[in-house]
Amino acid sequence: MDILRFITAGSVDDGKSTLIGRMLYDTNNIKDDILESISATADDVNLAYLTDGLRSERQQGITIDVAYKYFTTAKRKYIITDAPGHFQYTKNLVTGASSADVIIILIDAVNGITSQTKRHLLVASFLKMKHIVVAINKMDLMAYDESVFTAIKTKFLALSNNLQLAGVTFIPMSALSGDNVTFHSTEMNWYQGGSLLKYLEDCESTILAHSNPMRLPIQYVDDCYYLGKLVAGQIKAGDRVVAHPQGYELTIEKIISGYETVEEVHAGQNIQITFTGNLKLERGNVLSPLQNKPSMSNELVIDMCWLDVQNPLLLNANYILRINTATTTCKVTEILHKIDNESFGKYQDNKQVNVNEFATVKVTTTNNMVFDSYKTLAATGRGILMDSITSNTVAAFTIQ
Amino acid sequence: MDHIDQLEAEAIYILRETAAQFKKPVLLFSGGKDSTVLIYLSIKAFYPAKSIFPVMHVDTGHNFIEALEFRDQLVERFGLKLIVRKVSDTIINKGLVEPQGKFPSRNALQSHTLLDAIQEFGFDACIGGGRRDEEKARAKERIFSIRENGGGWQPYSQRPELWDLYNGRINEGQNIRVFPISNWSELDVWNYIRREKIELPSLYFSHNRKCIRYNNRLIAVSNYMIAEDTDDIIDTHVRYRTVGDMTCTAAVASTAITIDEVINEIANSPISERGETRMDDNISDAGMEDRKLKGYF
Repeated sequence: MDILRFITAGSVDDGKSTLIGRMLYDTNNIKDDILESISATADDVNLAYLTDGLRSERQQGITIDVAYKYFTTAKRKYIITDAPGHFQYTKNLVTGASSADVIIILIDAVNGITSQTKRHLLVASFLKMKHIVVAINKMDLMAYDESVFTAIKTKFLALSNNLQLAGVTFIPMSALSGDNVTFHSTEMNWYQGGSLLKYLEDCESTILAHSNPMRLPIQYVDDCYYLGKLVAGQIKAGDRVVAHPQGYELTIEKIISGYETVEEVHAGQNIQITFTGNLKLERGNVLSPLQNKPSMSNELVIDMCWLDVQNPLLLNANYILRINTATTTCKVTEILHKIDNESFGKYQDNKQVNVNEFATVKVTTTNNMVFDSYKTLAATGRGILMDSITSNTVAAFTIQ
Repeated sequence: MDHIDQLEAEAIYILRETAAQFKKPVLLFSGGKDSTVLIYLSIKAFYPAKSIFPVMHVDTGHNFIEALEFRDQLVERFGLKLIVRKVSDTIINKGLVEPQGKFPSRNALQSHTLLDAIQEFGFDACIGGGRRDEEKARAKERIFSIRENGGGWQPYSQRPELWDLYNGRINEGQNIRVFPISNWSELDVWNYIRREKIELPSLYFSHNRKCIRYNNRLIAVSNYMIAEDTDDIIDTHVRYRTVGDMTCTAAVASTAITIDEVINEIANSPISERGETRMDDNISDAGMEDRKLKGYF
């Protein structure tokens, strides 16, 4: 059994809570007392109550922040990230989507593609999500008509053309009656694909590519060992490696994983290591092989989503930049372009970036930063900006 | 890596982030299975060095004796530093009102003792065994969750939390609650306990206990509750599915004495973990949210 994390983006009106409730219910993952607590009467179950965990969310009937729900099948443990659909909570959607393998974008078949749909697309594109499901819901209200599905699908594909999305799957659905949620609908024989659950069961979870060059960011240093998570590749005792940004060459002496001393470890494992020699490393340093080294610079071009409600991005103000375990102070020196939320086109606006806006900017860092391209080595190709005064996380970014 | 390996790796990563980012972290221990798992994870995370986290128990004075004995054995076995702060002292020092009623639970009063201890020791991070699948307010919490002055959670303005880049930067007066096993279910915890051969208080396995029946739940007879003449005291086979205070934790009827039997019972139980055992969640629709706003875990 492995873990698959998926996020549902949409508002209650799109039937998102009904969809989550339906999946939990059909897979037998709702306990009796919970079912009772969300049922006003025996045949009136309010599935939105399952996910909206805060009082104001239940009162207003909207999702404000991310909630996590869990279910298992014989094959997998699923982590559902239930995210808000509304514009002003895009920052919460980015939070939830950052850790997901799959994003499910819900479209109400009655309303078709809306501005919200476009925002969800932009988030999926910004995070370069590998698995995107477009769930066209409420097909029951459109008489399960294939042409409704096809029209939305065609429009969606045209829209996403210049976003270079990977692997989009379209599923016609009725979450309310369960069509194509956990079992194949008998109402839509024109649809040859599988149900949403079948898609999820077969979906490849994000496999940390073992074929990628090795990256080991140092996370913590104790008296004898360097601790860190191997984020790519593999490492063996005796390997010659380079520590960045210093450029030292080192030989790996000993590797501990859990309670065992091991010869070799693969990506995804937390390890403790020692080197031969007397060189000292610190948190934020990155180990790589002698070939296929990461890039290093104090000038970065980053794609960002601004997340701070209180303050817009200020040019030449001090921020703290973090890539994996490394931090440095930095200034954003130039806004190269912003992304239009409706057309996805680039436009110039060199004044400021506001909350929930996407932009490409130039950053100058105090210390040299070690990084990779997000597309090939995600863990060392992404980061956050933190406000130097409030300490808040104000931006998420990826490096091209 | 199977799902248990993945959950363990995530938790160890979070514990190491906590060690790296904070000056005075502490691990909160209740005597229950979740915080016991946290202790084992913290040992594994830093092996062969010792865990760097001291362990703090906020003692309500309404504990199961088995949980206290277990606590003392566990810290001795791993050579951990134990800090105990008592709710009864807080009640005297702050002139708090002792709860009344048949089951006078000090559960809500724990927050005062916890916040005082955070101030006393200057803890900047408190690691806890809260899990998102336990309860709907907990389902909304970040892994690194900020508490403002006064200890309150601000659920509507939580910090964005991207990937595994946990932001532990805080300002004067703030502290962070850290939840390394956020993504574990009850069954995940039990499967991990079985796999890692983790010892638990004997309360978690079937034993004989004198109980009364109250609202369809079995409550142990103790010095901390007031039994009435009308209460039927029965001596029966029970185990605990969660371990909290004797005044607010119900037992479940069970003959499960091995870990396999316990796992089998939980996997087939039609009732959720807190639903079956916690009397403090059912106060209102937002019982947990309200307690968390006041500094509760």
